[in-house]
Amino acid sequence: MHHRVFITGLGIISAIGNGTEETLASIRKLKTGIGLLTNLDSIHAEIPVAEVKHSSAALAELIGFDTSPDTTTRNTLLALVAARQTLESSQWNKHPDIRSGLVMATTVGGMDFNERYYKSLLASEEHKDIIGLLDSADCTEKVAAFAGIRHGVSTVSTACSSSANAIMIGARYIRNNRFDRMLVGGTDSLTRFTLNGFLALEILSPTGCRPFDQNRNGLTIGEGAAFLVLESEAVADPSRIIGELTGYANANEAFHQTASSSDGAGALMAMKGALASARLSAGDISYINAHGTGTEINDLSEGRAISALFQPHIPPVSSTKGFTGHTLGAAGAIEAVLSVLALQHQIVLPAINFEKPMEELRFRPADRVLQQNITHVMSNSFGFGGNNTTLIFSDTR
Amino acid sequence: MSAYITSSGIISPQPTYEGKGFPAMVREVVSDRLLCLEPDYKELINPLQLRRMPRILKMGLAASKLCLNRAEGINPDAIIIGTGLGCLDNLEKFLIELLDTGEHVTSVIPFINSTHNAVAAQVAMLLKNHGYNMTYCHRGLSFEGALIDALMHVEEQTAVNILVGGIDECTDDFVHIHGYHHYWKMTVSNLQLYEQHTMGTMAGEGSAFFMLSSDPKTGEDVYVKDVHTFLAGEDSLYDLVTRELEWFLNKAGISREQIDVAITGMNGDAGMDAIYDSLSKDYFIPGTGIARYKHLCGEYYTSSSFALWLGALILRDQFIPPDVVHTTSVNKSLKNLLIYNHIRNKEHAFILMGHGAI
Repeated sequence: MHHRVFITGLGIISAIGNGTEETLASIRKLKTGIGLLTNLDSIHAEIPVAEVKHSSAALAELIGFDTSPDTTTRNTLLALVAARQTLESSQWNKHPDIRSGLVMATTVGGMDFNERYYKSLLASEEHKDIIGLLDSADCTEKVAAFAGIRHGVSTVSTACSSSANAIMIGARYIRNNRFDRMLVGGTDSLTRFTLNGFLALEILSPTGCRPFDQNRNGLTIGEGAAFLVLESEAVADPSRIIGELTGYANANEAFHQTASSSDGAGALMAMKGALASARLSAGDISYINAHGTGTEINDLSEGRAISALFQPHIPPVSSTKGFTGHTLGAAGAIEAVLSVLALQHQIVLPAINFEKPMEELRFRPADRVLQQNITHVMSNSFGFGGNNTTLIFSDTR
Repeated sequence: MSAYITSSGIISPQPTYEGKGFPAMVREVVSDRLLCLEPDYKELINPLQLRRMPRILKMGLAASKLCLNRAEGINPDAIIIGTGLGCLDNLEKFLIELLDTGEHVTSVIPFINSTHNAVAAQVAMLLKNHGYNMTYCHRGLSFEGALIDALMHVEEQTAVNILVGGIDECTDDFVHIHGYHHYWKMTVSNLQLYEQHTMGTMAGEGSAFFMLSSDPKTGEDVYVKDVHTFLAGEDSLYDLVTRELEWFLNKAGISREQIDVAITGMNGDAGMDAIYDSLSKDYFIPGTGIARYKHLCGEYYTSSSFALWLGALILRDQFIPPDVVHTTSVNKSLKNLLIYNHIRNKEHAFILMGHGAI
């Protein structure tokens, strides 16, 4: 029952780069992806965002087969770019006979095409060919077709914890012996829908997010996609194993639809649950890649939960959202890839834009790249509706 | 890994929410859509909360409440929901306001309520439930994703009682836009849905919740044995579906001869019903009871949750209601029941149910 779940492939595209190398280089140079809008057409051009620099046409070119930004949503284009890298890095196509599935996550789905065509569709059938692209399953089915996956295809949508959940479910598919190999991840493109929604919620930072800073002033939304390949012990080629997913848990805070409790009860349940599932104790964790959105309430509640669980010896903590922004449905997968990179390169990933520690907390986030022994990385993803998920990635060397 | 169905609550276009079994009189509707008969929500949900609550949340909370009321106060260990389109009406509202005002939106409530996991989150909040909470949104595989997740929890022994729901709402815009592809018949009586042999079906909606349990409640011995999903490709559909079905039944340790009842997702669209007809004719052995249900609830992404409710009734009562019989009525003990549904020939799903001891 307790099959091990190994990671054999990674792929990522976000505001700080396309691919793991560019991503890591940006992090080492402390180069943020947050800036002003260049691709998305919005009246809120003054709000900083973490946009992938490629136009949709440029993304389509990266995918390498016939696809067009006129017939493929940006959300799906991002997913295909990251999926392609992931499949190549795990040599997916060399083993077509392995029982394989796909669990993907998104929150916006085909929202960019909704924004573009919805009014026109209400009036006439001129754009009826894109109707199938409007929902959350389109990106998943396109990735499934690209990877040649026909079984175990699912899309998860639980707001900002979506793709952490997709990864957890993929691991459970393997542990339950339903599949031996899973492509798991998530995608979300920037849309006017989410930009205006978060703006109306009054939680967008006017300056760019600064997680766990006393003077934090909100989150910065971003876009991107990331995937991992998970394989069972039975099929994973030892030479391709780059890490192991050892723990996961999802818990529900049941406190408020859009806010977390100030004591971080939900975060604490998720972190404790993940430790238990990995059969680890708090002292085993080398680095915490926090959810750390930069909002007043998230960082307070998550920070308190981390303090409660880990003190007196709190491991290095950082949120990488100062680089990538909060990529919503893709965030869990993007941060999972970053967590595995931290393991692979034995580094603590830094937070940027950090100046002043929070008065309520006993720790300050890591603010530079620290080379040190990393054996277990904890990654937190929390979403609307109190949906809290924690994953633990472990070194296999 | 089987899970017993120990209670259910269902709001559908038929009189089902009172939980009195299969309706004595099936409701006839002449339209392009079948909308739910909704209960008096004030009896199920706090009226203060009801006031600004979107319809899909009312349907979700009420059906889950009905299910929980019949589950002897169990607070489930996990809440797992499948919804093909999520909170579509609020998504449309926020989108339209955004487009109409040129991004000068004033109301944030529809944005908050547009999140796909709003139903699962609200049910958890209602119950103060801190357990596992998941939402699957993949067209015709959404409810099946939720069921598979529940079965895995049983296998993992991480949950004993799991609340699983399938929910989708029908909106005017959805019907209008999808009508361009002739997904709906213009106007038809649901009781004659299968008579025309033309393109199109009736749009539908529903909210069905089930308590699945690794422990059987006394007297309840209907269970979900396994679920399997797949996407169609370029190959022959009949070959693909029968190959997948053979594999699935083999894994479950039963043969096609042992299928006592098959509930198909037949929806009256000639292009989509062909595969069900072929299976009925050429795959299932003579004497297999073949039933259908979409004339009762319409076509929607999580309609298999209606089929699960129907399958549970058939197995419990050991009787196929004449209103759902397609080809064959059977007079024998009903042990194994298969639900096969697909959406537009693309997303296919099998649900295998059983009756008796697991």
